[in-house]
Amino acid sequence: MKKKMTNREKTFWAVIIPVLILFFTFNTLPMIKGFIYSFTNYRGYGTYDYVGLRNYIDLFADARVGKSYLFTFKYALAGTVLVNALSLILALGLNSQIRLKSALRGIYFVPNILGGLVIGYIFSFIFTYILPAVGNVFHIGFLQNSILASEKYAWIGVLIVGVWQAVAMNTIIYISGLQTVPEDVYEASMMDGASKWKEFWKITLPLVMPFVTINLVLSTKNFLMVFDQIMSLTKGGPAQSTESISYLIYRNGMDGGQFGFQSANAVLFFFVIVTISIIQMTIMNKKEEQL
Amino acid sequence: MREKGKTNWVLTIVLILGTFTVFFPLYMAIIIAFKQPSEMTNDVAGALAFPATWSLDNFRQAMEVTDFWHSLGNSLLITITTIVLAIIIHSLAGYVIGRGMAGKKSFRFIYLYIVSGMFVPFSILMMPLVKQTAQMGLGNRFGVILLYLVFYMPMNVLLYTGYMKNIPMALEEAASIDGVSTWKTFWKIIFPMMKPMHATVAILTALGTWNDVMTPLVIMSGTGQNTLPLAQLNFQTQFGTNYNLAFASYILALIPILVFYIICQKQILNGVANGAVKG
Amino acid sequence: MSKRKIQKGISVAIGIVMALTSLTGCTQSSESGKVEVELVSYKPEAVDVFEEIAERFNATHEDIHLTIDSPNEAMTILKTRFIREDYPDIVGIGGDINYSNFLDAELFMDISDLEETGMVKQSYLDIDKELEFIPQEGVYALPYVANAAGMLYNKEMFEEHGWEIPETWDEFLTLCEEINASGIQPLYFGYKDTWTCLAPWNALAVGLTDSDTCNQVNMGNTTFTAAYGEVAEKMKVLLDYAEPNPYAYGYNDACTAFAREQTAMYPIGSYAIPQIKSVNPTMKIDSFTFPANEKEEDNVLNSGIDLQFCVMKNCKNKEAAYEVLRFLYEDETIQYYLDNQGGVACKEGDFDIPTELEGMRAYIEGDRMADYQDHHYPSEMSVDAMIQTFLLDDSETAVQTFLERFDTDWKRYNRDLIQKVQQYQQEVGNVQ
Repeated sequence: MKKKMTNREKTFWAVIIPVLILFFTFNTLPMIKGFIYSFTNYRGYGTYDYVGLRNYIDLFADARVGKSYLFTFKYALAGTVLVNALSLILALGLNSQIRLKSALRGIYFVPNILGGLVIGYIFSFIFTYILPAVGNVFHIGFLQNSILASEKYAWIGVLIVGVWQAVAMNTIIYISGLQTVPEDVYEASMMDGASKWKEFWKITLPLVMPFVTINLVLSTKNFLMVFDQIMSLTKGGPAQSTESISYLIYRNGMDGGQFGFQSANAVLFFFVIVTISIIQMTIMNKKEEQL
Repeated sequence: MREKGKTNWVLTIVLILGTFTVFFPLYMAIIIAFKQPSEMTNDVAGALAFPATWSLDNFRQAMEVTDFWHSLGNSLLITITTIVLAIIIHSLAGYVIGRGMAGKKSFRFIYLYIVSGMFVPFSILMMPLVKQTAQMGLGNRFGVILLYLVFYMPMNVLLYTGYMKNIPMALEEAASIDGVSTWKTFWKIIFPMMKPMHATVAILTALGTWNDVMTPLVIMSGTGQNTLPLAQLNFQTQFGTNYNLAFASYILALIPILVFYIICQKQILNGVANGAVKG
Repeated sequence: MSKRKIQKGISVAIGIVMALTSLTGCTQSSESGKVEVELVSYKPEAVDVFEEIAERFNATHEDIHLTIDSPNEAMTILKTRFIREDYPDIVGIGGDINYSNFLDAELFMDISDLEETGMVKQSYLDIDKELEFIPQEGVYALPYVANAAGMLYNKEMFEEHGWEIPETWDEFLTLCEEINASGIQPLYFGYKDTWTCLAPWNALAVGLTDSDTCNQVNMGNTTFTAAYGEVAEKMKVLLDYAEPNPYAYGYNDACTAFAREQTAMYPIGSYAIPQIKSVNPTMKIDSFTFPANEKEEDNVLNSGIDLQFCVMKNCKNKEAAYEVLRFLYEDETIQYYLDNQGGVACKEGDFDIPTELEGMRAYIEGDRMADYQDHHYPSEMSVDAMIQTFLLDDSETAVQTFLERFDTDWKRYNRDLIQKVQQYQQEVGNVQ
């Protein structure tokens, strides 16, 4: 660096370097070790051998892994769209002139804090007993059998619960985003006599655009890494139709003896999500600038 | 926000009706927490019926099994320390990256580097981390806190840098002309303005740490210290689960974080005086 | 910076680190003069029993102090402790694939010089032998308690209707028809939890295939297509007598249904009895060996080692660990464990058999038992999920598709092992 650093720059580097060291030590370093294991047949304990690229070659030949990618992408796409639409609507609602505001905000937050065991038991009961009972009373064909037992529709059951739980978190972020929209902007638009609909599209949305980006990135990531709902609802079933990538990595890498192979899977998965997120952020940044 | 307008009753009612989606499962959880194992059935009417008696016995027993106050203490210690440190360290990092990114490629790179850490599956980090923390003498509560600070750094940096976009440069420039250092400007001007985001970060970080089983399980097992989720594993064995005690315990564990959330919500709301941000 | 300053800086840094690590308050005080023995058991449900056993041991031993840990998620904890190289002295684990893997990773000590190993029932020593990937010299585990799986039935319901316990496959089908005719559901499955698919699968397989089938496949002597055909077909037949859509109901649903008398029989192991009894404490449950064959004498009881003790190779004080094992293997200690946890003793001798296993007594006493087939399956292969997939497959070729997949997947998931086994065979062959 030839130019003399300004004091401001010095402060910046003084802050960021320790942070980077911390992050490197407990995130990047173990990841590099995991990357090394991806070239071995390590079981997680005991001795192991280097097997070269075998794990990576196997990845592309493994039908189960392929299926888990398809399931995960389908799930993440549907989940991200639904959660963002619902939580933006909910945030707008909870942020407007309503009564019982605090109580309502509290209630809509509850799904996110219920533990996996509770979620698993309650929703399995709803899908297995309550919905089929409703289906029988009102003669709704598709409800008459538990959707969690259907190879075709089980993912929708997992999706419903996933969305139900995720809405809370994204709503919080949208609500805090809406706080940054200054009052006078609305006042100006009211004087113009703009309709609510127009006000949302022309004023509110552009101003909360950075938060839309954050929420899209976070929810895409969370849905792509779906694990808890699978564990508590289907354990990958029926007929292995809801095995997500994270579920496979955990179940076969940690519980099973495939640590090396699943490390390779994790490395591949990491690059896939990073790519998706960077594309997302680039597109959204352009949108932010346009608006 | 908009204090002047009239109450939107239609919206209020719609939102109240919507809470059914939360109350129904919650109702089921609560009545199970009060029932005895012998009252558990597979038929819908039986499952929705009130318990035979509304005895708090399950809650008392659940507290005993989990060594409640001790485990709660550990959970609170870990969660609160994590939140305080996360707000201080991550907001500072978010500010620096957010501002640095505007002019410098290197900060743009740092931003992507940290944020991409969010996508590393925990399973791949777990075993190396177990070994590493043990070697560094961090196989304890402190190690768990340190790991949380790293795990939540990507999300929180993403949130803070995003928020920085809505805080105008003008304030800092004015301070800089007055000869105030960057360090001071941050703590005096920027940090207070980030209040709604602090509350958001606090609640999201708390959510992640409060219910987490895996990290404390693998990092601090064997230290004789339990967090609430670890103690709650007592209700499940390979071939049997005591749902009644477990549900009572989960409902107990839910209360502190719900209270914390409601406090944070107030902060998010009161945080910004109207129009202070994009003035 | 002067040298002294650097040294000072280092000592301050070390001081901070030490202060931070001492936060845990984890002080390992070994009482002076006593040898510490640490045992980690993987059965958290038996925590009270083991605490009592440890207390009894410590009261009678002045020079050894025994600690028994029964953590939740014990397998995860054990594996992470192995990574940290923080080994306990003794582990109490099941006789399953984890044992095979740990043994293969050379974590255990040969305990054949412990006289107690000579008191174990032969079936259980054989079961442990078969769990060795590569045949080993010596004994590496002391089998403690076994469980048994077959068919649980509602005793009062059977007595009321005068139903007889079937001894052959045909009698079993006739019984199911009879139960059906009286308007009662004969069987109930919790196939939503895939692992429960393994219960009838194992119970059928012990009767219909050799107990060392998996080893034979690894050695290239047979295939699963050849060995499992009948098992697969009979699994399908069972579906006719179960509730519709069993994939909707989990293990817990099935336990509740059986406890609530919605079904007459429930094909599961003795481990499910506590969960069933929690819903219906006064229920009279008995069991019988799964009649998989046309002839009674071909039937075999499905029984596996539920708990066995292994001494870690790194154990510093072998004699103290042996003393603990001797104490654990005293008749009185075993009976105390059985009284509280149920199960079948692996030691030769006159131990009580739980009333719920009364119907299996002849097989237990006659030593007509074989291990769960799934104790040989690698867990990452998810054979349970494969069976569920197969049962859901309605096509004509379902059995064939399933068995072919079993053979191909087996080769893929056991590649390193098969190579090892065949290499070993060659070596042995060359020597001979």
